[in-house]
Amino acid sequence: MDYSEAAERISRKFSKSGKTIDVKKIEGKLRRLVDEFGVQPQEAERSVTNEFNKEFNIPAAGSGAGSKGGSGNGLKKIAEGVPGDWVTIEGKVVALSAPASPSIAQSGIIADESGAIRFVAWAKSNAPPMAEGSWYHIESAVVDEFKGIPNLKIHSGTTVKEISEDRSLIPTPVPIKDLHPGIAGVRAKMIQEWDASHERMLQSGLLGDETGTIKFVIWKEPGREKLVVGAVYTIFYAQVDEFNGRLSLNLNTATIMQEEGDIPVSSGETAIRGSIVHIAPGSGIIKRCPVEGCNRALSRQNYCPIHEIQPKFVYDLRIKGWLDDGEKTHNILLQRDVVESLTGITLDAAKEIAENNPLGMDEVFLQMRDRVLGRYVICNGREIDGRMLVNTCERLKFETSDHAALLNRAGGAS
Amino acid sequence: MSANPQDMSRREGAFEREPARRVFATELRECRYQFKDGVDEKSPTFVLLPTGERSNRIFIVGTLTEKTRQGEQNIFYRGRVVDPTGTFFVMAGSYQPEAMQQLAKIETPAFVAVIGKPSLYQKPDGSFMNSVRVESITVVDKDTRDLWVLDAAKQTLDRIDAFNAGTAPDVVKAKEQYPAIDPAVFRRAAYDALAQIKM
Repeated sequence: MDYSEAAERISRKFSKSGKTIDVKKIEGKLRRLVDEFGVQPQEAERSVTNEFNKEFNIPAAGSGAGSKGGSGNGLKKIAEGVPGDWVTIEGKVVALSAPASPSIAQSGIIADESGAIRFVAWAKSNAPPMAEGSWYHIESAVVDEFKGIPNLKIHSGTTVKEISEDRSLIPTPVPIKDLHPGIAGVRAKMIQEWDASHERMLQSGLLGDETGTIKFVIWKEPGREKLVVGAVYTIFYAQVDEFNGRLSLNLNTATIMQEEGDIPVSSGETAIRGSIVHIAPGSGIIKRCPVEGCNRALSRQNYCPIHEIQPKFVYDLRIKGWLDDGEKTHNILLQRDVVESLTGITLDAAKEIAENNPLGMDEVFLQMRDRVLGRYVICNGREIDGRMLVNTCERLKFETSDHAALLNRAGGAS
Repeated sequence: MSANPQDMSRREGAFEREPARRVFATELRECRYQFKDGVDEKSPTFVLLPTGERSNRIFIVGTLTEKTRQGEQNIFYRGRVVDPTGTFFVMAGSYQPEAMQQLAKIETPAFVAVIGKPSLYQKPDGSFMNSVRVESITVVDKDTRDLWVLDAAKQTLDRIDAFNAGTAPDVVKAKEQYPAIDPAVFRRAAYDALAQIKM
């Protein structure tokens, strides 16, 4: 088993805060935990990280060995907190959220001029309850990382004091394309509302600004309201989550203000010309789960991964494939209306074939494949997560002007 | 889209399908150099085009003029696909069952679009043989063929321009591997191919 990668990761984490640790030493510790004690590699990585956290931070906070801000009050700007740091900050509690576990007394977001961070006060910390809108001086809290997002931990060694401050904080919105996991604000327009995929979800959809678009989620909670499609909002202190490499905004902690007027939104639409070089299995006519809000594709046995056997499925058309421009190959997904217009096979015609042809649904796949594979098309759509959701797809036509231009180009320099 | 560097880094390590290069028969025929990118068993194999681009996959549209079934136990199909500049030798065997079935059904002659992997063999007499292992082959119309000629001509000219600029690593490699080939011949071939399309 190879520990170098995990060791590198740990060493990098600490070098960010100016600590150098011998990678060999880290590797040794990891190996010992995993090989001798049968600890899961992930758990081993975590516990070694914590071990070093302790080694560096506790003496640094106590004995004054720390190099930063030795004199004065040692105050840090919130934005400067790096996972692994022990920090003393002053900030305003801008949001409180329901604790996710009984061992958490309070959680929310605290902000100063430089930025904002999520905080968690452990029940065991005996910290005084903080109130939204008030300022606090928080001494010796720890910044760590939870799900890739920096988090301020208020533990039993932390002192929390309310201070009389009444500065108003005006965070700057961040362009959507520059968002990264953490707490951030945006000024954006609500451009799409999606079906809620979970009963606890109040709303999900798409927000956009000039630079891009991002998915947002609001979970059901007292006092939370839905956004309105087409309205522009200034949103502060939203949580940017990352899942499978995709970012989304959780608005439950956010301060949301609707604005007058309109802003231009990057359509996110691109056009790609190329030829369709592959039609993937699962294209053609498919069956979908009829359960409200599910709509998953069923297997051949009418089996939905969530709702099991669904004999009353709903038919749908789609094409999954690859569009190739000679330089790059793009994963494309065509939905029913696009498939119908490209192949000339309507859903009804496809149903008819699927139910009466001896090959059934395969016959639809084959007919569609023979009609589109190897053809030149231009697709307009939005690229999400490496796949283009195609809004329109049309066959390219032979343009004599292109032909003439190429003849000139080829003949020109020979 | 991918112009956003953040996106790129987030998707690092994601699967990238090798693009299908557009190449005329006359250029593919000149290939003599094949290499593997990486040491893994599954690393892709590339044929180096004389115009200085690596190619793991090609897209061609031409006329299927001939096909033959060969082999007793291991059946495979061979075919000849003709473009305005020459002939591609294509084959589909039992490792490409879908392609083989497609090829088996097509009546010659027909315009076909072929997506496949180029590969290079050296015959016992030392001469080289380029063939295309078919991934898929479908019957198309003449319009698609004409569009392909434009596409192949454009991309060939683009490669020649990059070759003349002469800095890309694959261009440097091509100059080493094919010292006797002047890409100007492919410009000529592209012109001739374009000229065969009736205005």
